[in-house]
Amino acid sequence: MKPSTRTLLRLAPTLAVLTILLGASLLYGLAQSLGYLTIIGEKELNLTAYINLISGQGTAGREFWVSLGFSLWISLASTLLSAISALFLATLLNRRPFNFDTFALNWNLAFPHLVWGVFILLLLTQSGLLARWADALGLIDAPVDFPILVRDRYGIGIILTYLGKEIPFLTLLILALLRTQSEGYLLVAENLGANAWQRFRLITLPLVRPALVPGSLLVFAYIFGAYEVPALLGVRYPRALPVLALESFTNPDLRARSEGMAISLIVAFVVLLIVVFARAKEELQG
Amino acid sequence: MTTLTFTHITKSYPKRDTPVLDDFLLDVQSGELVSLLGPSGIGKSTLLKLIAGIERPDAGDIRFDGESVLSTAPNQREAVFMFQKAYLFPFLNVGENIAFGLKVKGFSTKERLIKVAEMLDLIGLPGIEKRPPNELSGGEQQRVALARSLVIRPKVLLLDEPFNSLDRPVRLSLQEAVRNIQRELGITTLLVTHDLDEAMAMSDRMALMMGGKVAAIDKPQRLFQKPPCVETAKFVGVKLFIEGVASSGTLVSAEWGKLKIEDEQKVGRSIFAIRPEHIRIQKEKCENALAGVVKNCVYRGTQIEMKIALGERVLRAHIPAKNEIMPAEEPVQVILPKEHLFAVN
Amino acid sequence: MKRFLIWLALLAPLLTLGLFALSKGWFYPEPFPAQWTSQAFSRLLNDSRTLKAILDSLLLAFIVSLLSLIIGYPAAREIGLRDFPGKKYVWLAIFLPTVIPPLAIGMGLSILALQTGLAGTRLGIILAHIVPTLPYTVFTLAGVFARYDENYEYQALALGASPTRIFFTVTLRLLAPGLAVAGLFAFLISWSQYLLTLLVGGGRVLTLPVLLFSAVSGGNPTTISALSLLFLAPPVLIIAATARFLGENPNDIHERI
Repeated sequence: MKPSTRTLLRLAPTLAVLTILLGASLLYGLAQSLGYLTIIGEKELNLTAYINLISGQGTAGREFWVSLGFSLWISLASTLLSAISALFLATLLNRRPFNFDTFALNWNLAFPHLVWGVFILLLLTQSGLLARWADALGLIDAPVDFPILVRDRYGIGIILTYLGKEIPFLTLLILALLRTQSEGYLLVAENLGANAWQRFRLITLPLVRPALVPGSLLVFAYIFGAYEVPALLGVRYPRALPVLALESFTNPDLRARSEGMAISLIVAFVVLLIVVFARAKEELQG
Repeated sequence: MTTLTFTHITKSYPKRDTPVLDDFLLDVQSGELVSLLGPSGIGKSTLLKLIAGIERPDAGDIRFDGESVLSTAPNQREAVFMFQKAYLFPFLNVGENIAFGLKVKGFSTKERLIKVAEMLDLIGLPGIEKRPPNELSGGEQQRVALARSLVIRPKVLLLDEPFNSLDRPVRLSLQEAVRNIQRELGITTLLVTHDLDEAMAMSDRMALMMGGKVAAIDKPQRLFQKPPCVETAKFVGVKLFIEGVASSGTLVSAEWGKLKIEDEQKVGRSIFAIRPEHIRIQKEKCENALAGVVKNCVYRGTQIEMKIALGERVLRAHIPAKNEIMPAEEPVQVILPKEHLFAVN
Repeated sequence: MKRFLIWLALLAPLLTLGLFALSKGWFYPEPFPAQWTSQAFSRLLNDSRTLKAILDSLLLAFIVSLLSLIIGYPAAREIGLRDFPGKKYVWLAIFLPTVIPPLAIGMGLSILALQTGLAGTRLGIILAHIVPTLPYTVFTLAGVFARYDENYEYQALALGASPTRIFFTVTLRLLAPGLAVAGLFAFLISWSQYLLTLLVGGGRVLTLPVLLFSAVSGGNPTTISALSLLFLAPPVLIIAATARFLGENPNDIHERI
């Protein structure tokens, strides 16, 4: 069966706009990653950029594997810590009245990642607010005594920024499920003899899984592909993949541009795989 | 085998002026099924929550076999619920659902399998261990919920309007099944319901709750035929109350005149009542007859419900369905047989 | 105490930004500013570049959300109210742009914009912003339509109203709250967009986030904080206005801001 003409007409504007913009951008991107650079008159397609990345050669390719590792580290750490914290926060909040903490969590969502990054920066640099207070309290004597928490090699500042944003998001996601569904089940479980830990393990956890797993995958995918936060709070080396991609893309060395584009497409591909997997899982579990 | 005792239970909620339960007293015998009837908001469900330990009474005590359970944690009380919704855990199959209580109590996998199979036989759904709960019908889900509650052999079973959301035929068969299983296992049971038919069909004793107390408690038949007070009488469907002065076999009422009564003990100001099924309608005059005209008749299959006008007043009578349906404005005699007039408080 | 801690955690970012924004000559190791002043704000609001950035951001976000509503409305209505073959794939096609990182889309679009002469123009930026805003508009509106009862329109039709009249007097009125929420979300996404603006605008169109981002690299905490607070105002207002709606529907929109 085919959709009716009316349906097609109504879907047309949205689908056309998205297809044209997205399709064109991905096609141009793909072409450039394959060495199609009209600025320098290069029209031969080749896989040099991708080969450079995999073999760790070239301007950007040298850093590819290190950046991949770094990106995986910040994405995994942020996602796991967010998911675990959100799970416990949601369990705690589940029994409390609705309005206030929903507002509180939404309030947090209002802060763009960029602003949240600025906040972490102001708070945690070696001459930041916390360092100043620590000095006033006599805990440290000079900025160098304060631990390096932002623009550090391990991406701690980046991870902290994401935690601040993703914990409320995942908490809301879990709470929405818990608040509409958990009360009766938890009551029944307690009634049948389950203690608090058993209720958490046997009821809460399986109940929120359908929200928590895809939600966490979504968070992972987002962090893996995001540029702003690692660009603001990261160091020159190691750089997150998106930072490496963008900086190579705008590199005066035109060879680096193809590699930058290639990295960006690889990131997009990974993200897409994860999200499709998450959605499939969500659908499977109803 | 457990007896259940409530002594002077009081429970208030911050947002209500009057206590939901006020000096509530009740004794339930071992293996007995007592139903709690009454309009909504009267504290029936609150009582079950107090037994299960979900809420605490402000005063009074709850005892299983004479021992207070107030200090026992809710998950150690062994007073299990069955709700209107089955609450079968959606992420577990039927067998795992039933085994839940056994699992948290540390029974081995083998013991769990055996007991689950036994319970499935008992509820008449053998062999469905592996099915997911959402594939079951509403009635089957409730049966599984019952099995899940009973497999741990609780001391007390708490039925909180468990048949409400089911269609009538399913409801009736489930009522019967629950009643049979409850008898077979001899589990002390409280049933909360607002459905009189259900209470009568299932209970050993019915308790009518009013004003935070038990207003009347008795075997279903006695409570239905001879309710002790006006509120109870209204609840079990009595529509006609006659206020008057009784003396040696007669009741003199300003409204209804002079009526013969059988109750010789009753003397002085009193209220008498009669069930609508016991009022007779006929053409001929006789003892305790009042003249009236038919307002309308509604044929109900099992009976005919009539409205009769007696001057300004309207009276309802239910007569056997085999009678003729009378046209409106037909003059008739309304008979209030003296053997069916009973005194209420 | 507990409540106080929650409030503190809640307000910490705002307080920190406020502290720095209102300070003057506040250096390590002073725990609090010695001098308080709103100079940073007045300086920014008198700076033509900043003013232009604010106006540009507002204008772009407004046009983008309006366009998203207009383009997305028919599709949202069809998805929300009807079942049709292939609906799942349509849904997927609209969903995909929300998950592909803006980086990949932006880099591709910047090449496209260079080829078509749209690089560095507002039109180019508007088109780029529509990629992430349109799907969210369609999703939000489709959700609104799923709870919409078309019978109101049939009733008006039966009473003799023309389709145009029905659209303006019945449909728009019933949908006003939903349209507002969808529009505000689109506004929010566009307002917060840094990467697409940078890549397609090529630094020639300066919006507030672009200005903020370069200020952060520059490093004066007072200016950064004041700019952040200006940048933060619309999102805070919008989320406050739509909190009820968000509370019921945890939305991954925040991954876009």
